[in-house]
Amino acid sequence: MALHRLSLRLRPTVAHVRSIHTSRYGRQQEAAAVDSESEPISVFRTQENDPASQSEKQIGQFYTLPAEHIRLLFPHGLPNRYQQQVKTFNEACMMVRQPALEAISYLKKADYSKPALRYLFYGVKGSGKTMSLCHSVHFCYTQGWVVLHIPDAHLWVKNCKELMPSSYKSSRFDQPLQATSWLRNFKITNEPFLSKIKIKQRYVWTKRESTEEGRPLGELVDQGTSRVKSSSDVVAAVMKELRLQCGHPESNFRLAVAVDGVNALWGKSTIKKEDKSAVDPEELTLVYNLRKLLKNDWIGGAIITTLSQTGSLYTPKSAYLPQELLGEVRSYLPLKPNSLSAFKNPLLLLKHHSFLPAVRKLKIKYSLLFESKTMSIIIYILFFSSICFFCKRLFSLSKELCFLHSIT
Amino acid sequence: MLGSSLKHIFSMAASVAGLLKPWTPSVVLVRWSRYNPYYLEPEVRREAYSRPEAELSAEEQEERKLKELRPIKAATCSTTSSVFDDPLISKFVRMIMTDGNKVLAREIITQTLENIKRKQVEKYHKTPAGKKEEIECNPYTIFHTALENCKPVVGLASIQKGGKSYQVPIPLTDNRRRFLAMKWMITECRENKHRRTHMYEKLSQELLAAFEKEGNVIKKRQELHKMAEANRAYAHYRWW
Repeated sequence: MALHRLSLRLRPTVAHVRSIHTSRYGRQQEAAAVDSESEPISVFRTQENDPASQSEKQIGQFYTLPAEHIRLLFPHGLPNRYQQQVKTFNEACMMVRQPALEAISYLKKADYSKPALRYLFYGVKGSGKTMSLCHSVHFCYTQGWVVLHIPDAHLWVKNCKELMPSSYKSSRFDQPLQATSWLRNFKITNEPFLSKIKIKQRYVWTKRESTEEGRPLGELVDQGTSRVKSSSDVVAAVMKELRLQCGHPESNFRLAVAVDGVNALWGKSTIKKEDKSAVDPEELTLVYNLRKLLKNDWIGGAIITTLSQTGSLYTPKSAYLPQELLGEVRSYLPLKPNSLSAFKNPLLLLKHHSFLPAVRKLKIKYSLLFESKTMSIIIYILFFSSICFFCKRLFSLSKELCFLHSIT
Repeated sequence: MLGSSLKHIFSMAASVAGLLKPWTPSVVLVRWSRYNPYYLEPEVRREAYSRPEAELSAEEQEERKLKELRPIKAATCSTTSSVFDDPLISKFVRMIMTDGNKVLAREIITQTLENIKRKQVEKYHKTPAGKKEEIECNPYTIFHTALENCKPVVGLASIQKGGKSYQVPIPLTDNRRRFLAMKWMITECRENKHRRTHMYEKLSQELLAAFEKEGNVIKKRQELHKMAEANRAYAHYRWW
């Protein structure tokens, strides 16, 4: 795996790692450490903290997310392990990955007067799909878009403690707890937009409660968080308003819909009705309305999604391709019409497709493979996050980690 | 001359062959190694082989020559010459293991080390710049130092004299001291902590406390020392 090249990169850095080590005795002067730290920073870390200005030169390097952004943008979006790392290292460093950069470049160039483009990250477990999603969402946030981030769609189709029949449509079911927690996080992320966007329709919740036309969106969200019973319907209303309003010249915002684990919406659920029969995801209000949002019949935004086998139900562990996780990909239109070969090789199912006639299927992103980024990850963890165990044997340590990774 | 040398070689060959056969000791103990004591322990660490000839002292050179001729025991499956292999950690893993579930024991220890590291790194980030050097972040050194702090210096043995049994202070071997430290640590974490915490959480708390010379294990060690000090008068009852 080009260990020779990696070792050449390591050699100049090993010398001053000894000054950054954290043993009790014999610590070198901090000044010397600070000076020599500037060397490895340029190799494994970038100062380009704005996703809009990142390019291929920074692939494999780490950029820091500001703490404010983490608190506002990702109250619920980051993976658990990553949140632990953020807490331990006191900083949030994300690696710049090629698929994320590609998605961001498409987001920059897309025509927002046409129907929303859909992006799908897929790949094997641990290849960085969720992190790439978060990277793209961070880009959208820095550009001032409204972010609708569903951290894990699998959580909406399993382990439901409270299932209520919907007041709006009798055949559907409500999930008040999930809806309220999502609304709370949505409020934290999109605080500035809640007062600017006005709703265009009157919503009646009960005999005495209703939200009039022209009220700010914030009131709708507050209604959902305070009245737990109608929270799922509030979520549906919020989605509808945003979908109808964005892209029009009078509303000057763009909508980014980010869904992690989108295969949950079209899979099976483990929620049972009272007569022990399984609930179809379509019968859940939240899922039904999210599916409507994922249809690309609205303009002025983008839909970024991820496949996930980890939380999914009734899928084998080895499945990671879209065909396996999302079901039959009937209506893909590859560049050449009627080419069956596209189904066998998902990498062909790419390229710009704004006008997919299908209801279900989405535009695919490249799969993510964790190749030569191992070294930068190791270097980041060892050098900057003060996990220097055996500083004398650092080189053999990294070599061993690289070897272990290449054989797994 | 030739004949005698040949005879010498044959007799040596016969005795060596005898030592390589299946062997039982003359006094059969309950736990004994099936290897003939003729066999030497394997040296797994890579650093031991990379040292040049000149660096070795006379005894080490003798040992090397011996290793060329003598048979060597097979290394166990769990020993590696990897950088991450630590004999003390392996011993601790084996002591925590129950029902042969070494995977679980190893998992617990890895999580413990990670937990210690996380706590120390968080503490490191919170301390002001002047005091950052005093925080030890390496979980392996914390583990080693904590166990060192838990090791008792003298132990007590129950010796019967004149119908009465006395608690007599006795010297302990290194192995026994290490065993007692590990045993106390594990029993303390299993029994005296809250039921609903994970083992790795309990272990990391106790190890960090022992590193700072606080905690129940250190207290137990101090009590043992006090008992030994109190029973100093009976020390002459020991006959070995």
